[in-house]
Amino acid sequence: MRSLIRKYAEKLHRDRSIAQGRVGIAAKDDVMLTDGAPDLSRLAADVLSRLSCLGVVAASPSLPFAEFLLRRANADAKAIVPLDTETRTFLHDIPIVRREELAGDPVRAIAAHLSNRKGVIAEGVGIVASGPVTLEQAYIHYSSVFHAAFVKYLLDALQAGFVLPGEAEAFRGFRETFLRPLTAEGLSFRPGPFDDPEEVLSEIRAVGRYTVERGLVDSFFGNISCRVGETIFISQTAASLDELAGCIDPVPMDNRSTTGITASSELLAHRRIYEATGARAILHGHPKFAVAMSMLCEEKDCPVKDCWKDCPNVRMLGNTPVVAGEIGAGGLAVRVPPVIGASGKAIVYGHGVFSIGRDGFEEAFRSMVDVENRCRDEYFRRLDARGQSKSE
Amino acid sequence: MSLRQHILVVDLSSGRMRREEIPPEFLRAYLGGRGLGVRLLRGRHTLSPFDPAMPVVFAVGPLCGTPAPTSARLSVVSRSPLTGTVYDCSAGGRFAWRLRAAGLFAILIEGKSPRPVVLAVTSCGEELLPADDLWGKGIGDTVGALSDRGSVAAIGPAGENGVLFSCIMMGEGNAVGRGGLGAVLGRKNLKAVTVDGDRSVAVADRERFDRARADVLRLFRASPVIFGELGISEYGTPALVDLMRQRRMAPTENFRRTVFDGSSAYSGPAIRAAYGAKKEGCFGCPIRCKKRASDGRALPEYETVSHFGALNAIADLHAIVRGNDACNDLGMDTISAAATLSAWGEARGRFPSPEEIGPLLHDIAHRRGEGVLLAEGSRRMAKALGKPGVSMSVKSLELPAYDPRGAYGMALAYVTSNRGGCHLRAYPISHEILRKPVASDRFSFSGKARMIKIAEDMNAAVDSLVACKFAFFGASLEEYAELLSGVTGEHHTPQGLKEIGERIYLTERFYNAENGFTRSDDDLPVRFFTEAGSSGEGIDVPPIDRARFEEELTKYYRIRGLRDDGSFADDGFLERQP
Ligand code: SF4
Ligand SMILES: [Zn+2]
Ligand SMILES: [Zn+2]
Repeated sequence: MRSLIRKYAEKLHRDRSIAQGRVGIAAKDDVMLTDGAPDLSRLAADVLSRLSCLGVVAASPSLPFAEFLLRRANADAKAIVPLDTETRTFLHDIPIVRREELAGDPVRAIAAHLSNRKGVIAEGVGIVASGPVTLEQAYIHYSSVFHAAFVKYLLDALQAGFVLPGEAEAFRGFRETFLRPLTAEGLSFRPGPFDDPEEVLSEIRAVGRYTVERGLVDSFFGNISCRVGETIFISQTAASLDELAGCIDPVPMDNRSTTGITASSELLAHRRIYEATGARAILHGHPKFAVAMSMLCEEKDCPVKDCWKDCPNVRMLGNTPVVAGEIGAGGLAVRVPPVIGASGKAIVYGHGVFSIGRDGFEEAFRSMVDVENRCRDEYFRRLDARGQSKSE
Repeated sequence: MSLRQHILVVDLSSGRMRREEIPPEFLRAYLGGRGLGVRLLRGRHTLSPFDPAMPVVFAVGPLCGTPAPTSARLSVVSRSPLTGTVYDCSAGGRFAWRLRAAGLFAILIEGKSPRPVVLAVTSCGEELLPADDLWGKGIGDTVGALSDRGSVAAIGPAGENGVLFSCIMMGEGNAVGRGGLGAVLGRKNLKAVTVDGDRSVAVADRERFDRARADVLRLFRASPVIFGELGISEYGTPALVDLMRQRRMAPTENFRRTVFDGSSAYSGPAIRAAYGAKKEGCFGCPIRCKKRASDGRALPEYETVSHFGALNAIADLHAIVRGNDACNDLGMDTISAAATLSAWGEARGRFPSPEEIGPLLHDIAHRRGEGVLLAEGSRRMAKALGKPGVSMSVKSLELPAYDPRGAYGMALAYVTSNRGGCHLRAYPISHEILRKPVASDRFSFSGKARMIKIAEDMNAAVDSLVACKFAFFGASLEEYAELLSGVTGEHHTPQGLKEIGERIYLTERFYNAENGFTRSDDDLPVRFFTEAGSSGEGIDVPPIDRARFEEELTKYYRIRGLRDDGSFADDGFLERQP
């Protein structure tokens, strides 16, 4: 258990979602174990002692976006509701706990919200998330909240500008120092196509790690596959892209066997993409600027109510098509395959990016980097344009 | 839902029946289903299962009758003649929904009828019908004869003849299985219960309910186990056959091995190819995990194919399906039947052949020939033969088709289950094997004690709502608490539900303790600590480390607030419960 606590603290540092040293993790077995910053680990332990859960993560995020969202929310708002797929599907909403509520018994206030949700934003504290089944889950829920808040803040800032004191400066810091250039340079890929299963497994493991190391995705979110003959090697559901050893399922194209019941929820999409495009490799992740940009639809008087699920249109972001479709059996497996072949990449509304490689993973990886970079550029172009029109 | 719900109390000895209001504090503290049934047993929980005064409770939950997904279910609660523990089983179909439509939340049956009877319930009233002509009939004929009376729950010859693992069969092919509650009804001379009605159930906050329902359905669609192209909606639970083979934890030849080479004969795709596997489900369930052959018969579940298959070394799909048919018609639990045959096979040095299965099952149900002994279940049978080690059971309940050497949480959960060796109490297969909602390390005990404790509490609440365990391969208690809030108009949280679940779980354990169960009963068959499973393909399946197992069990007791010997530190526990 101790080693697990350390592992997730390190992961949070590595993926840059927490401020240096500002994490506390508590895990409970028959005894309570904690690690990290004393104040935060005490908080995590106290909250955990009130919940039927395995673990709690309490941390100050590396970016103040969650805090800004809380302070920008209406005074009577009890939660923020990000519109990305993660939130829609798993979090539903993110409760916010304001300073006043924390003033009396902060542990009690936070635990009360966590008794009903996977993660909360606590003013002046950060994000607190719980893991009902495993400690890893607390880490995942922290990441989900961080991700959702990040995307929502990008959109809100673009829409309503900066309203709080210090916000513009903080955002400039984010843009100029926090964000690093995304690139595929310096990575080595094996040229495909592959025929040796061992080679495929090791390439999938390596590329999965690259996506996380290069900041393209957060470790838990995404999936990856490679087709060899009549077999799809695909990452398992609930697998971390940077830890895929032993978490790759071989699935026959013709469904002869059901061992792939543990494969990624996007198995069907992968299979259809292989059928439709003849690709050999597929990457899927949730890079944040692409997720944000996918939701900026400018259609006027659109009759569609549920854009995530029902939008029938193919919108272009540069040369990348954006389509709707929910996870798994929810529809993206229908809408992505027909559009991904032309440019080798596609964005799913509010969700993330699929990219393909005709032989190996290099093409898919470069495409995903390219999509996210273009979305970044386009985002900042619009933000700057907004700033200019305001100051004029 | 209002807290004004009614129970029908039936005294079979006198024939008196009355509808009463259920104390609202029971509904608040126990929800319904399993929890309510367990509460209603209090005071009579130490009676012998066959004592006429021992009640059998049929109880639906607060979600039943609403469009909450997978919630047209009920629990049947009593004390098991097989295990001697308190016993509940959840079953779907249409019965629960019709019971609610008859204006009832529960039926409590006590006493013993002088003659065979059928209890017929509608929204207009209830009556006891003579059933002499149905006695001796199989489930198919019984259900057929009563089909104009709505949904039928019936016992077959196995229940009439006191087979310790006889079921109550719900007409549509669902079973109240495992613990022998069929025999309890048989002793009461109650052949069947029918229910029908036209009442509807109110939803207090429709908007909240609808939102939660949409959330649940979205999560179902996002779950590969549920709606994935290889999931249970497509293939039913036999989707697990290939997976368990690949994970090398399919109990084979009475748990002597964990890989059966012939398992592809009865995999999900094989069953579909041979029988068509038409989708069917419990009332209103979108998952529809039940499968029927093109000729309409119910196809077997994973446990059934694996135990008639690998456990008895039979790779003949048709023989397996026939075994399932026979059990369904005789009203007998397939897991315990197949496991008892397998244990007997090991004891006599030869597993039954495919041709022998059918006749043996009939002998069991009618208690004749070898069946006299086999009808007692594997533990009693093995003891009588002087080979107690061949019974692969916990608290006399035969273990299902997940070898504990391949999933350590499962190993622990088998022994802490209040109804004996059952996979569904904590259902760690969900995270240890199916990676839902997240994965845990199946070959590690680390953290498992608390994981099992929390899951037991959660599932006690789920069984009291009553929702289907399969829903939680996608959704979580978060969305189900919202559904409940929508139905009741009161605010419920997952944490609150788990606390209710904990109360239910501890009550059950307290009953069991009063019936003499101690830590020594919380144990696995010795084989799992001394013999390895079938290692290979890079997967090592060693015997379970006894010391580590005991250590984790002790942790579990501490987390539960029990003494290290598994007993209650507090004798007054029960009295303090509502
Ligand atoms: S998932 Fe299957 S068992 Fe559960 S309620 Fe639906 S049809 Fe019934
Ligand atoms: Zn995704
Ligand atoms: Zn017969």
